[in-house]
Amino acid sequence: MKIADKIITWARTKSPWVIHFNTGACNACDIEIVDALTPLFDLERFGVLLKGTPRHADVLLCSGPVTRQIEKRLIRIYEQMPAPKFVVAVGTCACSGGVFHDCYSVKGGIDTAIPVSAYIPGCPVRPEAIIDGVVKLLSKFEADEKKRRESK
Amino acid sequence: MMMQLFYILIFPGFLFLYLMSFILEYEDRIIYARLQNRKGPPLFQPLADFIKLLAKEDIVPECADKKIFKLMPMIALTAVVTSFFYIPIWGVNSLYPFKGDLIVVLYLLTIPTVTFFLAGWSSTSLYSTIGAVRTLTQLFSYEVLLFLSVLSPAMLADSWSLGDMASFYNERPAMMLFNIVAFGMSLVAMLGKLEKVPFDIAEAETEIVGGTFTEYSGRLFAFFRMAINMEMVVGASLIAAVFLPFGLTLDPVYGFMLYIVKVFFVIFFLSVGRTVFARLRIDQMVSVCWKYFAPIAFAQIVLILIVKGVVL
Repeated sequence: MKIADKIITWARTKSPWVIHFNTGACNACDIEIVDALTPLFDLERFGVLLKGTPRHADVLLCSGPVTRQIEKRLIRIYEQMPAPKFVVAVGTCACSGGVFHDCYSVKGGIDTAIPVSAYIPGCPVRPEAIIDGVVKLLSKFEADEKKRRESK
Repeated sequence: MMMQLFYILIFPGFLFLYLMSFILEYEDRIIYARLQNRKGPPLFQPLADFIKLLAKEDIVPECADKKIFKLMPMIALTAVVTSFFYIPIWGVNSLYPFKGDLIVVLYLLTIPTVTFFLAGWSSTSLYSTIGAVRTLTQLFSYEVLLFLSVLSPAMLADSWSLGDMASFYNERPAMMLFNIVAFGMSLVAMLGKLEKVPFDIAEAETEIVGGTFTEYSGRLFAFFRMAINMEMVVGASLIAAVFLPFGLTLDPVYGFMLYIVKVFFVIFFLSVGRTVFARLRIDQMVSVCWKYFAPIAFAQIVLILIVKGVVL
């Protein structure tokens, strides 16, 4: 059983498929996410593929603060993803609300609506920062799984 | 009995097809990556994708027709694996040859497309319904092209059996050159059949999210992906057997190596096609296939009839 567990953890860290969702960003972080997926940065070498539907994705890349209008939709998208799933908050606004934190229509960072696994600050984030964040998330996931196996 | 089981399950049956599908998916993705001047995925990538999908949660939508939704990936897989037994891999004969196996292979390869339609239709999502309808529309444009292009070498060899065709071309290798146009047309049709980029209208991620497979997740989606990859192996083997029938009397080891080279050659063309073209609209695809490609395939058949009258 242990070996099967190990193989599954390995497979999960080697093929994170991402979906991108704009929760109310000014579009700068969205452009940087698209930038990170271009051949120049070649995210496919880590097994990252951009998917159109939440059903196929493992990682939800959220950019921007959660507005009151998008909150329900964000939770719905999150619930449509099959487990195990990760959420990455891309950009300062997604981490904390940023300059929009006290706006009347904004609720705050992504973690006010759904649980977040990784925060990538920056306004806008650099593509290198996004790649670094995703790789760090995966290595942390691997370490957590190892700890969980050993404690059992 | 043991030998039969070995043939069906291990070589050249299920296990071989399984490994081959991973290798060819890797080849396809690495050529795509190299042509875009990037490094591309590592060798184990298709395997990691497959295991990850197997280990994920299966979600069946509330409104979906649950039985059909769960059954369709298996039917697609079964049809593809079955069709592989009738294609000669090396040597002249396939595992279970009979008269007219070419037709059976072509029809077995149509079944996955129909299951894609049923899968998309039964998941009742708006996007998958649009994808399902597009899958069928696409079927009507490339299927005739594929049949016409495979018809011409069969007419020249005067047989509907892949084994007879192989032995005919093995005796007269120069005859192969008359089928070059049909070879090109069959590559185009195969791109449509595998729903690769110029013809990936049914899956179009940027407009109808995931198309037919929008609602599929986890294990069921893994089986669909595997069925498509295996269809790629079977399609490439079919094209190799029909259009590149040379070196069939070599001994098994070299024959097998030659087969691998032929399949890689076919997949190379498919990957280049996937890289250099952008996605067409569904109406553009139908008009291109019917206005230009189908007449070219007809012209090929006329050429074959003339050759048959003059040379043979």
